Amino acid sequence: MRNKILRLVGGRLIAGVGVLWGAATLTFLVLYFTPGDQAQAIVGGENAAPTPEVIAQVTAEYGLDQPWYAQYLSHLGRILHGDLGTSYRLHTPVTQAIGEQAGATLELALAAAVVGLTLSTVVALATAKRRRWIRGIASGSELVIASTPSFWLGILLLTVFSFGLRLFPATGSHGLQSLVLPALALALPIAGVLGHVLREALEEVLDEPFIVSARTRGLADLTVRLRHALRHALVPLITMTGYWVGALLGGAVITETLFTRQGIGRLLLSAVNAKDLPVVLGVVLLSAGIYVLLNLVVDLLYLVIDPRLRDAPATARPAVGGAS
Amino acid sequence: MFTSSKPLLAAVLTAFLVALTACGSDDTSGGIAADGAAGGGAPRAGGTLILGENADEPTCLDPHQLSTTNTTVLDRPIFDSLIWQDAAGKLHPWLAASWQVSPDGLTYTFKLREGVKFHDGAPWNAEGLKANLEHMRDPATKSPLAASYIAPYKDSKVIDENTLEVHLSSPYSPFLNVLAQSYLAMISPKQIKEAPQSTCEHPIGSGPFIFDKWTKGQSITYHKNPDYNWGPPGAKHTGAAYLDGLEVRFLGEDATRYNALLSGEVNVIDNTPPSNVQDVKANPDLGFTTVDRPGHPFSIWRNTGRAPFDDVKVRQALTLAVDRKAIVDSVSFGQWKVASGFVTPSTPDYASSLEGKITYDPARAGQLLDEAGWTAKGADGIRTKDGKRLTAIALDTGVNPQNTQILVQTQAAAAKVGIDIQIQNATAQVASDRTAAGDFDISVGIWTTNTADVLWIQYASDNITTTERRGQNTTRLSDGKLDQLLTQARESTDDKTRADLYTQAQARLIELAPAIPLYNRPSLVSFQKKVQGLDWDHAYGAVNFYDTWLG
Repeated sequence: MRNKILRLVGGRLIAGVGVLWGAATLTFLVLYFTPGDQAQAIVGGENAAPTPEVIAQVTAEYGLDQPWYAQYLSHLGRILHGDLGTSYRLHTPVTQAIGEQAGATLELALAAAVVGLTLSTVVALATAKRRRWIRGIASGSELVIASTPSFWLGILLLTVFSFGLRLFPATGSHGLQSLVLPALALALPIAGVLGHVLREALEEVLDEPFIVSARTRGLADLTVRLRHALRHALVPLITMTGYWVGALLGGAVITETLFTRQGIGRLLLSAVNAKDLPVVLGVVLLSAGIYVLLNLVVDLLYLVIDPRLRDAPATARPAVGGAS
Repeated sequence: MFTSSKPLLAAVLTAFLVALTACGSDDTSGGIAADGAAGGGAPRAGGTLILGENADEPTCLDPHQLSTTNTTVLDRPIFDSLIWQDAAGKLHPWLAASWQVSPDGLTYTFKLREGVKFHDGAPWNAEGLKANLEHMRDPATKSPLAASYIAPYKDSKVIDENTLEVHLSSPYSPFLNVLAQSYLAMISPKQIKEAPQSTCEHPIGSGPFIFDKWTKGQSITYHKNPDYNWGPPGAKHTGAAYLDGLEVRFLGEDATRYNALLSGEVNVIDNTPPSNVQDVKANPDLGFTTVDRPGHPFSIWRNTGRAPFDDVKVRQALTLAVDRKAIVDSVSFGQWKVASGFVTPSTPDYASSLEGKITYDPARAGQLLDEAGWTAKGADGIRTKDGKRLTAIALDTGVNPQNTQILVQTQAAAAKVGIDIQIQNATAQVASDRTAAGDFDISVGIWTTNTADVLWIQYASDNITTTERRGQNTTRLSDGKLDQLLTQARESTDDKTRADLYTQAQARLIELAPAIPLYNRPSLVSFQKKVQGLDWDHAYGAVNFYDTWLG
């Protein structure tokens, strides 16, 4: 058992390095080969009127006159030495630039994750195998919410709860009150998808013989659902970790912009526009790293949730249905 | 799941999130009750004013490293300038007590104001001014604007503690004007010398407010400089600012910014959405104030370097074909003023005698196109010459919906006289590259600066982009007579002569029609009635808080 976990962790970490390398390479190539004068973008874009001396300084200082492969290797070498570099535009270390923004994104993503997971779990538990119209309403609203762009949802929430009812502030990262609406805007579409998946899984499980036997032992419906069915139904939810973490990180860009919050998303957006390669690489590596670690955690979680897997070959994952 | 009880919903959701937020920053710095007790009375010291700004947040707060539009609003509280420009465009001493210009226009001798101290205790003196000019010019500063605004700066010599002699390589009459802009404001010389890397993150100036904290993506806070006693001439009081503190919040969404003012989250907003100005004016709790920015009006540039706009008659025809007032009114909900020439009226040396020369006359446009040889018409009404259609490619980044509307309405007007404008979408970077390379016929833009030398920046043939040099002459206009007028105006040391030369240049531009001047861009500022004494930095047309107090 212990060996198996070590092998799993080791293998995933080695693959993870490959993922990070690939992500960095792709990012570099995309940013390098998309149109736009890099020195001009760094100095300030269309508002700027830099002198030729300033452009020459930027070009020399950042090695923009070197061939692309030389620039690529120098960025890669820097990263391999654990140095994320200094932002071209912010003039601060990339670690600092990301550090300043990461807290707000983490706060938002965590809040949205908890809201999304809780909401979907509660709704699925309450509606699985219920009367037809209840399930109809639940899955209908899930479908609508899941297919609503979070931008639109955000505007809707703002209009009703902030501009209209004045319940929550529309902007900023000023404590808890200002976290409510952005967290909801980010969480609801995710909850819609996860709730749908979870209910289907629950309904499958609730047909299993062990549930019938639990019921015949006289256990209350809620106990059956919570204690016996939920654990089994959680597997597809965990399989979808990649999906919802991706949705959280991707959705954060839009949500942060709409609600004027701090965050990695807005940092990345402005860095891409200014061709600020060190910052873009830093953010991409961070996101890729989070993915690698999460996948590892998920694999370990399988072993915890489903004891059968502890004896199966290390690479096998359970075949899970339900992702309709 | 969701009950419809609103307070309950709010309570539940909030309680739900309490568990998550480890950092309990209970920042209730808002907390300003709109008690409606507006009205005059004597200015009162105290309180913190919160300004809602748009999302145009700079990447750095060192004025010498900036070219963004919001620089003056954000940096003027921290930094003073050598010179102050008043509403009429006249220049007054500020951190400079007086100055003298040599007859050849090459030597400027500045006598500096005494008793000025920077926030870090550094004294203001001739060495300090020299350090600032060198810092602007130093390529290592990577200045996007200040360096080119003082491009003729050669060197300077400290005469005594408070006198600096500045040498230029060529006569440059706008030198004093640009020194009044916040992009060329004075940074602590001690900081420039000892910690130049820190100027972005911890700006230190001599202004009425001291920089506190910059929460990137969100806000900048300042507090009062109690020692301040060198306010600009024309200010309504002397001594320290009335406000204890100032906070600028970056609220990117127009609706959010406007609603933040309505709900009292902020006291003042800049960049009021034009569609909301009427509502603000009708609201008894709110006030509104505006000023037009100096420089080149927002315009439709035509590429004079290639067909069809290499023909001046085609350019004049398109100008005549466009009902500028109708377009500007519809796009801005009546809040922008139609441009009356190639510089805005708030620019020094604006030629008011030329007002009314740019007219709307589609019939005359048709005649000019006939004269230019575009006589035949295709089935769709588009003119042709030697079998070629009269087509122009317009670049649109789509970033600004108002710019898109302007192009679409221009397209419709042009089609009526037989010009086919094809709008192509391009990312900002692609559009910028194509414009620089001359691969376009029509684009849009604006340049704000407090001197008619903006005409040299935009239209001198020296400023056409080449492989060696990127210039701002978007229209690629190359006219010997105009070049001569603009160069002479730059080199003139006499106010009257200079004004006369700039008037001739503005007249010449109306003839040459490289661009269609559309509107003067204003600062649209809305505020709660209890906010008193909002003022302007006229060198840029930006709101200024030195005289401001809360009633």
